[in-house]
Amino acid sequence: MLYEGRGITVSYGTRTVLDRVDFAARAGEVTAIVGPNGSGKTTLLRSLSGEAAHAGQVHINGQDAEAMSARERALHRAVLPQSGSIAFPFNVLELVRLGLVAGLASADPGEGDRIVLAAIARVGLKGCEARMVQELSGGERQRAQLARVLVQIWQPVLAGQPRWLMLDEPVSALDIRHQLTIMRLSQDYARAGGGVIAVMHDLNLTAMFADRVSLLYAGKLQRSGAPSEVFNDRDLSACYNCPVRVNTPPDNGGPWVLPQSMV
Amino acid sequence: MPSSATAAAPLAGDRRGRAAALRVLLLAVLGVMALLALGWGAAGDTRVLAALTARFGVGEASVRDMTIVWDIRMPRVLTAMLVGAGLAVSGAVMQGLFRNPLADPGLVGVSAGAGFGAVAAIVLGGFLPAAVLGWVGGYLVPFAAFLGGWASTLILYAIATRGGRTSVATMLLAGIALGALTGALTGFIVYRATDDQLRDLTFWGMGSVAGATWAKLLTAGPIIAVGLIAMPVLSRPLDALALGESVAAHLGIDTQAMKRIAILSVALSVGASVAITGGIGFVGIVVPHILRLVQGPEHRNLLPNCAVLGAIVLLAADMVSRTVVAPAELPIGIVTATMGGPFFLWILLKNRRILDI
Repeated sequence: MLYEGRGITVSYGTRTVLDRVDFAARAGEVTAIVGPNGSGKTTLLRSLSGEAAHAGQVHINGQDAEAMSARERALHRAVLPQSGSIAFPFNVLELVRLGLVAGLASADPGEGDRIVLAAIARVGLKGCEARMVQELSGGERQRAQLARVLVQIWQPVLAGQPRWLMLDEPVSALDIRHQLTIMRLSQDYARAGGGVIAVMHDLNLTAMFADRVSLLYAGKLQRSGAPSEVFNDRDLSACYNCPVRVNTPPDNGGPWVLPQSMV
Repeated sequence: MPSSATAAAPLAGDRRGRAAALRVLLLAVLGVMALLALGWGAAGDTRVLAALTARFGVGEASVRDMTIVWDIRMPRVLTAMLVGAGLAVSGAVMQGLFRNPLADPGLVGVSAGAGFGAVAAIVLGGFLPAAVLGWVGGYLVPFAAFLGGWASTLILYAIATRGGRTSVATMLLAGIALGALTGALTGFIVYRATDDQLRDLTFWGMGSVAGATWAKLLTAGPIIAVGLIAMPVLSRPLDALALGESVAAHLGIDTQAMKRIAILSVALSVGASVAITGGIGFVGIVVPHILRLVQGPEHRNLLPNCAVLGAIVLLAADMVSRTVVAPAELPIGIVTATMGGPFFLWILLKNRRILDI
């Protein structure tokens, strides 16, 4: 099963932000979207999720996403935006419960409560249920939002169809430990049969956790494939306009990206 | 831990039980207050209660008692309760829609438009053809106020909607422009008014439920109730909207349908309220704010509790307005503003840290 975009094009006035980008993510895998600032990563994710107006087609598990209602799309995919604010004094429990707001998870309220508590525990916020969201640290808030997103698509596979976790720079505000927690959680979601599509800044985390990578540059897809194929000195140095050296440590075989001096 | 009225094992941070318990308490208070407002206590318990039950064939009451309780006090009490409930719920809906705890039910332009309609009717009503005057009878002012409020909201909605999407920010800004324009037009008409008309205008602006009749209540009541009927449809979408419009859409909410229902139901509810009682401020801001502090912001519980507390507040304000300068009556808008103004300032000062960011 695939989450596919074909010929995705987005223009703001005369400026083309995305130019006929083809994208495909497979269920069971973590697919990363990487590229320098302004390359169109977030716009691509927003087009795929149905948020940004775009030309081209998006298919979720073979179905045309344009033909779906907001409710049907919400059944297939959940989205964690880059930054989120919340109006009014919600506490953590109430924020995470918003994942159930469209009534998609279960008709049984007891089942909903069970999922909400499990999601809170999953992101390591057990015991914080009664705390106000406004009073959380940046990292805690990001994890609480992730719990809300997880609640929406709690079962990675529903009625034989994979569900999709879409993350926009999910770990940028987090420390190393929580970066790993979130990336492992995403990987587990994929291993359980769901699909993960993540916009990533950190190339080394990407190399550690992504099964496939799409490298964007100036609104165009440069390369896509396994990190070991996409991450090479020439392509990364050109796209990021910064000399980098990709190393392969002998122990785990994954590529490792080291910026070089820009003199 | 909040006491839970429903759940077997209360979850940490779960405020649903507290909200349910609060609703029971508020309903009880409302019941007692309604009886007090009907004259229970003042006119002797037995006579008021007898008049209430005699209507349903239980016991007997004098014609005078029946008239006082059923024809004079009852429509007034019900009007105060319904208008209070409508204003408080409309306020909570507007605050949810604008994602701002200081949003007012009048933000959709309905108050400014209704004010213009009322002023125009009071000052220029005499120039209408006799046939029209005969048809609307004594209801010219409420009728014009409702039309003015509704027209103003529709204009704002049309301005703020492009390509099937309504921008609430545009609506807010266009509302300021349209408010200034209707304010100027209203000022122009007021400038042409006679002294008697000026007196009517002033009192209309202060609001009152003193003129409540069964006829007015039965006409405006169902329209005000639209805002209350929309509550279950709006509560979950408004919860999701706290995270912003795009996240609400990600969560599966049809945000455009929600905005349309919210704006139009508030315009109907507030428009009909303003039409029969004039301008009554602060209920729509203060009531939702108190309840959010006590029971949290989830609209499924917030909106119904706003309806009950709103009814209590306006009923209380009406009792104050009847007694504080008795036998004369203080316009109810003065009472709500006197209570609500300082409270609003308190909210501002308390939230200044958050608002400054």
